[in-house]
Amino acid sequence: MGRKVNVLGVGMVKFQKPGASEEYNVMARKAARAALEDAGIAYDAVEQAYAGYVFGDSTCGQRAIYEVGLTGIPVFNVNNNCATGSTALLLGRQAVEGGLAECVLVVGFEQMEKGALGSKYTDRTNPMDQHAAVMSKVQGFNEAPPAAQFFGGAGREYRWRWGTKKETFAKISEKARKHAKNNPYALFTDPLTVDEIMAAPEVFDPLTRYQCCPPTCGAAAAILCSDEFAQKHGASRPVYIAAQAMTTDTPATFEADSMIKAIGYDMAANAAKKAYEKAGLGPKDVQVIELHDCFTANELLTYEALGLCGEGEAEKFIWAGDNTYGGKFVTNPSGGLLSKGHPLGATGLAQCAELVWQLRGTAGARQVEGAKVALQHNLGLGGACVVTVYRRD
Amino acid sequence: MANEVRFDGKVVIVTGAGGGLGRSHALLFGSRGAKVIVNDLGGAMTGGGRSSAAADKVVAEIKAAGGEAAASYDSVEDGAKIVQAALDSFGRLDIVVNNAGILRDTSFAKMTEEDWDLIYRVHVLGAFRVTHAAWPHFYKQQYGRVVMTASAAGIYGNFGQANYSMAKLGLLGLSNTLAIEGRKKGIHVNTVAPLAGSRLTETVLPKELIDALKPEYVSPLVAWLCHESCSETGGLYEVGGGYFAKLRWERAKGKSYRIGRTLTVEGVKEAWGAIAGFEGAEHPSDIAQSMQAVMANVQAGPSKGGNDLIDVDLALGYEYPERTSRYDERDLSIYALGVGAAADPLDDQELALVYEMHGSGFKALPTYGVIPPMNQLMTMAKEGLTAPGLKYGLDRLLHGEQYTELLRPLPPSQKLTHRSRIKEIWDKGKGALVVTETKSYDEAGELLIVNEFTAFIRGAGGWGGDRGPSTEINLPPERPADATTSEKIGASQALLYRLSGDWNPLHADPNFAKAFGFERPILHGLCTFGYAARHVVKQFSNGDPRYFKSIKVRFADSVFPGETLVTEMWKESDTRIVFRCKVKERDKVVISNAAIELYREIPQPKAKAVPAAAPKPAAAAAAAPAAAAVPTSDDIFTAIGAFLKKTPELSGKVGKIFQFKLTAPDSVWTVDVKAAPGAVAKGGSTPADCTLELTDADFMGMCTGKLDAQKLYFGGKLKISGDIMASQRLEFLRKLDPALVVEAMQARGAGAPAAAAPAAAAAAPAASTGPSSEDVFLALTAYVGEHPELVAKTGAVFLFDLSEPATQWTLALKNGKGSVVRGKGEAPDCTLALSEGDFLDMSTGKADPQKLYFGGKLKITGNVMASTKLSFLQKIDPAWAAQAVAKLRGAMAAAAPAAAAGAAKPPAPAAAPAGGAKAGAIFAALAKRLAAEPGLAKDIGAVVAFKVTAPSAAYTVDLRAAPGSVKDGAAGDAGATLTLADADLAALAADTAAAQDLFQRGRLRVDGDVRLAQKLGFLKGLGA
Repeated sequence: MGRKVNVLGVGMVKFQKPGASEEYNVMARKAARAALEDAGIAYDAVEQAYAGYVFGDSTCGQRAIYEVGLTGIPVFNVNNNCATGSTALLLGRQAVEGGLAECVLVVGFEQMEKGALGSKYTDRTNPMDQHAAVMSKVQGFNEAPPAAQFFGGAGREYRWRWGTKKETFAKISEKARKHAKNNPYALFTDPLTVDEIMAAPEVFDPLTRYQCCPPTCGAAAAILCSDEFAQKHGASRPVYIAAQAMTTDTPATFEADSMIKAIGYDMAANAAKKAYEKAGLGPKDVQVIELHDCFTANELLTYEALGLCGEGEAEKFIWAGDNTYGGKFVTNPSGGLLSKGHPLGATGLAQCAELVWQLRGTAGARQVEGAKVALQHNLGLGGACVVTVYRRD
Repeated sequence: MANEVRFDGKVVIVTGAGGGLGRSHALLFGSRGAKVIVNDLGGAMTGGGRSSAAADKVVAEIKAAGGEAAASYDSVEDGAKIVQAALDSFGRLDIVVNNAGILRDTSFAKMTEEDWDLIYRVHVLGAFRVTHAAWPHFYKQQYGRVVMTASAAGIYGNFGQANYSMAKLGLLGLSNTLAIEGRKKGIHVNTVAPLAGSRLTETVLPKELIDALKPEYVSPLVAWLCHESCSETGGLYEVGGGYFAKLRWERAKGKSYRIGRTLTVEGVKEAWGAIAGFEGAEHPSDIAQSMQAVMANVQAGPSKGGNDLIDVDLALGYEYPERTSRYDERDLSIYALGVGAAADPLDDQELALVYEMHGSGFKALPTYGVIPPMNQLMTMAKEGLTAPGLKYGLDRLLHGEQYTELLRPLPPSQKLTHRSRIKEIWDKGKGALVVTETKSYDEAGELLIVNEFTAFIRGAGGWGGDRGPSTEINLPPERPADATTSEKIGASQALLYRLSGDWNPLHADPNFAKAFGFERPILHGLCTFGYAARHVVKQFSNGDPRYFKSIKVRFADSVFPGETLVTEMWKESDTRIVFRCKVKERDKVVISNAAIELYREIPQPKAKAVPAAAPKPAAAAAAAPAAAAVPTSDDIFTAIGAFLKKTPELSGKVGKIFQFKLTAPDSVWTVDVKAAPGAVAKGGSTPADCTLELTDADFMGMCTGKLDAQKLYFGGKLKISGDIMASQRLEFLRKLDPALVVEAMQARGAGAPAAAAPAAAAAAPAASTGPSSEDVFLALTAYVGEHPELVAKTGAVFLFDLSEPATQWTLALKNGKGSVVRGKGEAPDCTLALSEGDFLDMSTGKADPQKLYFGGKLKITGNVMASTKLSFLQKIDPAWAAQAVAKLRGAMAAAAPAAAAGAAKPPAPAAAPAGGAKAGAIFAALAKRLAAEPGLAKDIGAVVAFKVTAPSAAYTVDLRAAPGSVKDGAAGDAGATLTLADADLAALAADTAAAQDLFQRGRLRVDGDVRLAQKLGFLKGLGA
């Protein structure tokens, strides 16, 4: 068994629309400095740094971190699609847990372009071609944004299997906006009603525009450290990582002719299972969750993948309000990807920051009462899924 | 003026605007709606004094003309004050024209430090200060325009203006970098080098010329560069006297020496032509492009060295120009005779190598594969085309080794395309080895032959380079040879062999041979090579040359015609034979280190790609003879042109220019859907937003809706460059009216798709009722029974999925004798879906398969290519078919009269309502069914509304209580509203489509309770 890994400090910048943000290096510097300040340490104490981003030439990580300091430490650039941030977090955790470092900086950032995600390289095999082949077989391929087709298709499959109403998906967006209203870092803070969400232009049935996360620019960071380091720096009862698991695709993704499988349902369920086992906890022990709601359909599916409700029970779970304040859990108190925004590389760390604040009891108007155990779920098509359990004793 | 270029709302600073160019700029801006800060210090031309009069006068002029302006009297050295004046007067700033300047002309010898410094301060420091003060505002508002004023004196130099030249070109450097820094923020920076009659030029130009060079001739360019719709930045322009032109850098192609080479002054002197000559010059426009040449040289890696005879850096990897050649049976026969084949004219196997009418088929001797490329290389050498860096004469060259590989047997005649390159160069100490590789491709573009010619270059080694592999390969084992062939070479053999192309007199002219130290002409090494290969093939592949894969030999010594060649062979495996050749009379090894590899099975040529594949299968699949012409991509583009003309509104929606680069065969088309009404042009001269590269066949597939652009893209078959997302707007291609394509074909003269095609498999019409598809398939059953060879020829299983009424027939031509069965038999390779009516119309020549295919009425899935193999259907004689059907029907009638009676009756045609829509009939039938089976409603217990599209209709099925009802129109209070196309509704009713699949594909929308869509069983069998 490795050492306990604490999250000593977190920080992020307000997420912005593409074009309105500062450049990635500036955003990352601000997030990293905020995390250092939150941890109460100087950059000199950081022994390794992990930088997650998807769009940008090589070594953007160094470019960004050099603005924080030039101490010559190892800097790793991490790229794992939408799961980039939590992948970087996992690498940093491994370094501390394995005794390879006392203190590491993990920063995630993304400077995105307007419009739906597309392919940057057209002269080589598309990494998603196998996933696309499944989709093409199951439901064809049209001009809608490919990601919306993937997750919307999974929504259709779910709807067919469980007879789910379209409004149920919209209800998730309504909740996301309600939560985001209290988050100063979030991009969309105006509330929306289910009717408004349903009336928005359809992107890919059953998803309307308000059920798709927007391209976003932003950065977030975390400082991870050992117990010894935490004590030396006078931290009392820091939030720590009780368990963390990462999974990638299995044959089911490509062989089951299922959109739900193709978008990584099994990855999520497997990662959650491993994380719960490692932490010795179950879903009922969790109070607050940040999960990967890139589209409403994925939040709905993830409830079941994480065991927050039984299979086929998501609709009931949603209308009972068990995903918000006053219910069984609070999912995405930050507003989630839908409302806070989804800067690919930053998302995993922004989720981490929110949960750390929740466990510390410093989340202000967003505070989930009695939050002791927090769960993070971050998923990338292509694919990777990281599930993390945080605790504060 | 229509489309006047206006500057309304914009605020511009023009420095030095009290007179000359600046005044002209200011007046122009003022007249076009801009608010102008007229800045002028009012000083003398040489920099002394100041007054407000000059600026005030211009402000008054602008105002008099109805414009807005304010004066600024500050020196440009106080740039911030000028910018502040703009903000104070007008609240913003958009444009800075750095125009202010003075002169201190004097020869360099007499120039004082003050002359130098003053010029620097006004021109360079002044432009810096004004622009620098404006920059944060531009940055913040993400918009700005800057113009610098340079001069020909700076670009080219001018006597007496050393200080001025320095300053003017300094501004260009400043402008270049500001253009880069400002690009992302919407700030454009350009430089003009005006020639105008002003205070400054009065000193250098004659009066008459100055009069012709009015400042007003310069200002329009300055204004345009400052307009928001002008996207130019980082440019330099010469302007004046009515002339406007952009300048750019030109760079000689240059000379590169690989890293590690000793660079000498002599080397630079020798290469001066390349360093300073502008032939093939480049035009780098940014630092990255500027560095390309250097980077390419660095990336080419360290020098591999060389000497006076061989420069490895230049030669290695050189690709010779592509060459083509042809051969036929005559060439093959002459070659075979040249290497001693058919010395016994009664040897049947050898006769096949030289006799084109041989009973078992003419066969090419495989080693002929060395001849066409060899001849090409020799021809190029004769023409003086040698690889750069190979400077030795042919007198030094010895053919050392030869490798020849065939990808499949040589066809009896072929046109070959040869691509040769220098593959390896090794330094063997005294000599050097140069390996030239030639790849020869057949007419279909498939690789057919690979050759490697290894030449030993005497005395050319010793530069300290890589020696290359030194392992001895293909050494004979210790044991005695497994087979030995001994053959006497004819005395005139060299004279015969040279007819295949190697005309070197050494092999014919006794005197010439003597001069080279041979007692008489020697045999060609490659002739011995051909003998040896023949021997091995005869021993180890049953004399069938088609198993030959490759041969590798080393030429060890010369052979004289008339000597006896002994080939010793060792079988190392079933497919590899090591051999050695000796001359019996002299016991000398003449070919060593040699081996031949064989194929286990005769390789087959690849299936020929069907050009413009998409529509052809449709034609063939139609079971109707495809005398019908096939549309080409040209037709499609012509049709797109017509389509765009008819739908001008598309341009507004799409707003992009696309370029299609098609391959196999190659063509380039530009589809302009930007400016209404849109246009299609062959060629690619217009710059496109988005370029799509794909094969002609895939393009056709895309346009016929058979292939999905995104799928092609993901599969790497479609390359998109430029604005990738724009490619999604090509969806409109799918809406192309097939009629337009047909028109295009007719215009081309391809003839309309043949409607007069005789019925292929169609049986004779049965009395008044006409044939059914069953008749056609019965005829096919008989035909397949009589033609068992069809299975080997076709090798595929076809499923005909007919609708209205739904029947399925499997035509299996893959295993055994082949069969025709009703329903789904063997797993199909290819499925053809169409209606019974269409199937019959096609088989009686009434409907054209292409039209059906384009119209979406004939769908082909699975291995589309396999459908081309259905062309045999055309060969079935209708009269014979009629007889066969009659016979079969008779037999069936005897066996099962009742069944036959049913089958003989033509199937009731689908009750097709007007317009072809099926929904009406389906819901009418549903109403009857509900009345007949009142229990149906019980399972559902809800109201289901149907919104049918294409054509539109709406129905509400109320199943809340038995017996239920069907009403026209969609009720608002339905438990679920199902939206789907008429055709999909019909497919659901016919049970040929699954609701879940339609739903997942988005073709069935369900608003409300999706579970109701899972209970549509009540529709099954309706409307048929």
